[in-house]
Amino acid sequence: MAELIRLPKMGLTMEEGTIVEWFVEEGQEVKKGERFFEVATDKISNEIEAEFDTTLLKIIVTQDEDALVQAPIAIVGEAGEDYSALMADVGAAPSSSAPAEKEVEVETEAPAATRAPGEYVLASPLAKKTAKEKGVDLEMIEGSGPDGRVVEKDVLAAGNVKASPMAKIAAKEMGVNIASIQKDGRIMKDDVQKYYRNSRIEDLAEPSDDVQAMSRMRKVVAKRMTESWNTAPAVTYDISIDMTKLMAMKKDLKPFAKITYTDLIVKVLSRVLLKHKALNCSIEGNNIIERNYVNMGVAVATDTGLLVPVVKYSNIKSLGDISAEIKDLAEKGRTNQLGSDALQGGTFTVSNMGMYEVESFSPIINQPETAILGICGIKNTPVVNDAMEIEVKPLMKLCLTADHRVVDGAVAAIFLKDLKEHLENPAVLVI
Amino acid sequence: MSMKTVVVGGGPGGYVAAVRLAQLGAEVTVIEKRYIGGTCLNEGCIPTKVLLHTAELFATMEKESQSLGLKVEGISCDWEGLQKRKELVVTQLVNGVKTLFKSHGIKVIMGQASFTSENELVVKSSDGKKQIVEFDKAIVATGSAPVIAPIPGVESPGVITSNEALALAERPKSLAIIGGGVIGCEFANVYSDLGTEISIIEMLPNLIPNMDQTVVNVLRGRFERSGININTNSKVLAIRQVGDMTEVDAEGPNGPFTVSAEKVLLSIGRRPVTKGLGLEELGAKMDRGFIKVDKQMRTSVKNIYAIGDCNGGVLLAHTASSEGMVAADHIMNKNAGIDFATTPYCVYTKPELAGVGMTEKEATEKGYKVSTGVFPLNGNGKSIIMGEVDGIAKYVTDSKTGEVLGLHMAGPRATELIVEGALAVRLEATIDEITTTIHAHPTVGESLHEAAHAVHGNAIHVPNKKKK
Repeated sequence: MAELIRLPKMGLTMEEGTIVEWFVEEGQEVKKGERFFEVATDKISNEIEAEFDTTLLKIIVTQDEDALVQAPIAIVGEAGEDYSALMADVGAAPSSSAPAEKEVEVETEAPAATRAPGEYVLASPLAKKTAKEKGVDLEMIEGSGPDGRVVEKDVLAAGNVKASPMAKIAAKEMGVNIASIQKDGRIMKDDVQKYYRNSRIEDLAEPSDDVQAMSRMRKVVAKRMTESWNTAPAVTYDISIDMTKLMAMKKDLKPFAKITYTDLIVKVLSRVLLKHKALNCSIEGNNIIERNYVNMGVAVATDTGLLVPVVKYSNIKSLGDISAEIKDLAEKGRTNQLGSDALQGGTFTVSNMGMYEVESFSPIINQPETAILGICGIKNTPVVNDAMEIEVKPLMKLCLTADHRVVDGAVAAIFLKDLKEHLENPAVLVI
Repeated sequence: MSMKTVVVGGGPGGYVAAVRLAQLGAEVTVIEKRYIGGTCLNEGCIPTKVLLHTAELFATMEKESQSLGLKVEGISCDWEGLQKRKELVVTQLVNGVKTLFKSHGIKVIMGQASFTSENELVVKSSDGKKQIVEFDKAIVATGSAPVIAPIPGVESPGVITSNEALALAERPKSLAIIGGGVIGCEFANVYSDLGTEISIIEMLPNLIPNMDQTVVNVLRGRFERSGININTNSKVLAIRQVGDMTEVDAEGPNGPFTVSAEKVLLSIGRRPVTKGLGLEELGAKMDRGFIKVDKQMRTSVKNIYAIGDCNGGVLLAHTASSEGMVAADHIMNKNAGIDFATTPYCVYTKPELAGVGMTEKEATEKGYKVSTGVFPLNGNGKSIIMGEVDGIAKYVTDSKTGEVLGLHMAGPRATELIVEGALAVRLEATIDEITTTIHAHPTVGESLHEAAHAVHGNAIHVPNKKKK
């Protein structure tokens, strides 16, 4: 006799699944235990074996189509058998793969009534009689009729739930519709409690999604970052710097001026960049613009967003001037006093995340520049020295993102190595 | 390639796990130090029940024959014959396990196992030979042994443990029992029935403290009536050998006292047998010698599981077997679980005691508003026929929902009947499912039906105490 194959329930929370593949074609025989079809959910994918020897007569839910749990997905039986009666049944079966049909269904289907305890239950006389016979509590049933009216089939569906006596009592107490708990096998008290907790979790979390229009500045940042991301084929290179000497130098300078690591790095960079023109240029159309000067952009985080004020001609400025200017620009940035002039003309950018103890990141190039240097925190790190001994050194990571259209890997590497030598031996600054 | 498994220990945990593994297609080797069947078959559950059975028959014949309409003359206990019967029953059951092993292709190696890695162990046999056994997964089921407490004089020749109490050359005329738990009470019953003078010394306020005290008190009452000297709230201070007698100094609520007996049985608990397994060296987490495990019986060492007494959960043979199934299923990637709330506790005394689920005290402590239904066996036809009316059935339920939280019983067949309660707990039944289930008549089991009705004060066979 022809019969329906239904979509198996493969997990507690599975509500629908996708047919990944039919291993058998229509008209083909399948033996018990042989691979029949494969079902996937958002969590798992399972190959389903045939449960008995049969012939696949008709595939209802084809490959890559979705179906609700227990929805008919195929008809099996004896080869050549007439299964038209079953097909007629299937016409009404829920299948999320038939959108047109589903829409109609949605329109006619009354929303499930949620009742207050003790509220009058709208139910058909037959539903009431059946409920009494089956010992099903009408209050707990979501009606599928008009205005949430409970009809006989709702009662039957609820009555078919296999649940322990305590599960039924717990469900009633918690106001849980036991029929909506999906489980293979007997529903126990624990299942009801878990279902209840899960259904309550949203109430407890009070989630709220607040929609806010982007500020002008945020729009600019978003636009510029997207543009850079889509324009430059960028590569990020990391290198570790031994900061022992630079730290000592900062300390030595302390009585004279409050110099920051950013100031020191900008000073060294401005000098080193002149020798590595590819990293200090920009692309315009098919041209590359090289420079004999450095305008150093320094990324500043403000309450409203990212700003990159520029220290103009930093290659000829003294450490003290650089330091004072960065301090001034940053302060103006934070208090929204920067003129547009101060934000233009950059040839290279540094972004210091060291104060946040970031260990590595891949900064995005500030267009139309060709590279950006990310500065990370200084961390005491065990390193093996030349004498093959373990020594603790204050290491700082630099992360250089460079536009591969102009800066080849070796070029970037040579620049970083040169920069490393300078930073590790800051005495060269006086040469 | 099939899963290569080793089970260390052939007791009720180990042999069940081994058979289960074989059923699921694993290659199984069992390593046993001493005897197949473990404590349960060789010096625990089975031999004690053989002694209890004969002792009970003897006591019935001797003391109750007249009331049962029998004339019995010249009855006596053939101690040697009883010991032989015990050996016979044990041998039969042990051979049964060996047959199971053979039929499932399970290999047995006799010797002491010691783990060397998470995939290898060494077995040292009694002749000193060593053998390396490799495995994908191993189950440790090494069981437990009686605790010898550091009481002064505990090494006196008259002091014995349950192991020796099962195989004494002759029945002692007097026996002092230190520890009134399940083991102590069962031996008290055996030897008391056979005519030995018994004293029990228990530190806690009552015998068998982990069971529902209402049913325990039924046993205590019968023990007292049969002349057993019970000293609860009493602490043993010292033991001393005086000629053929052994004396126990103790201190009770009424001050110090001394008990003198031919033998002193030490039954104060059991300790894990885990020394020399090499598990700690592999980093297994232990708790006072017990191997710590998770719900799937996995130890903290990869590939190694531990089940039964050695993991320190509930020290019962049937729990070990269930844990063996859990471990074996997990090893063979089968999703199976056991609901340990259904563990029955049984004492094979007369009356038998049995309990499952929560005791009244436990349920109250957990915050339930408890309703109990108690039915005494003197209202039960079958118990009167059997002449065993010492007993009660007691359901513990949640008064709010009617959920069956526990069943406790004292009386004939209690250890068999407890399965009703275990099933009720497993299926989360309410007391209404029990009252609406037909119980056969005339049976002792009817008392459970009546106890269930008694939860609502509606037992049929008790006089109406409600005032109109």
